[in-house]
Amino acid sequence: MKLTSIRPLPCTSTWTLLLVLTLASLRLGASGSGPALVMAVLALTLIKGQLIADYFMGLRRVRSLWRTAMFAYLVVVGGLIATAYLIA
Amino acid sequence: MENISDPPHALPGDFAIWVFIFAELTVFGVLFSAFAFARAAHVDLFNQSQLALNRGLGAANTLVLVTSSYFVARATRAIKDGRGLLCGHWLTGALGLGVVFLALKLFEFHQDYAHGITLSTNLFDMFYLSLTFFHFMHVLMGMAILAVVAYKAYAGRYGVEDHAGVETGGSYWHMVDLVWIILFALVYVIR
Repeated sequence: MKLTSIRPLPCTSTWTLLLVLTLASLRLGASGSGPALVMAVLALTLIKGQLIADYFMGLRRVRSLWRTAMFAYLVVVGGLIATAYLIA
Repeated sequence: MENISDPPHALPGDFAIWVFIFAELTVFGVLFSAFAFARAAHVDLFNQSQLALNRGLGAANTLVLVTSSYFVARATRAIKDGRGLLCGHWLTGALGLGVVFLALKLFEFHQDYAHGITLSTNLFDMFYLSLTFFHFMHVLMGMAILAVVAYKAYAGRYGVEDHAGVETGGSYWHMVDLVWIILFALVYVIR
């Protein structure tokens, strides 16, 4: 039997990870409030976003410009949200 | 089997959809930032109003949308293997989960209305309803695209060499998922 036939597809591992990270975000959010929790949830969101871009959209296999553009988008939006929450 | 050292591939699907996807992401990014900075001036109001939301339903919808995105990824894999029927089945599954998402969201909107949450209640509710309804419309649009792609997959119009339509529709659906991931964290979770 080929190894590839028993190894889960990258998108299956990604899906499992996304479910776990979603539940982790929910748990973190339910545990309280404050800058540390906000940063932690936003960091998990950034990871989830990049996982979707890389393994669902398939950007990991295209020219790095597009993957970088998506990462930049997530960092800029996440950074703006983080800034707004830190100055509040 | 693809090798990591293979040369970079072209963007999945039509190039035009990627211009559209980044335009959509920019619009949502501006709205998310507007929400966050509006909150900075009304922290108590936003924190208080957020408590009225049904976070469980929001989380359930996140799991539903992430799973539907996974189904679309499997559909793309299937058509690359030349399995049009299987591709159609995965897309139909994704569409079914899209229906579940819409049903849960409509139930949530109904609950919100019953609890007095309207566009004019306060700034948080205005943002919450506008953002989620705007996203709701994108889910509808994504489902319309997926339905066409599923129909064409069942009709045998895609193959190993010609499956840009599946990738184009799929990329749009993943964008809808990506936007909800951020929306869920911003509106329902962080405080």
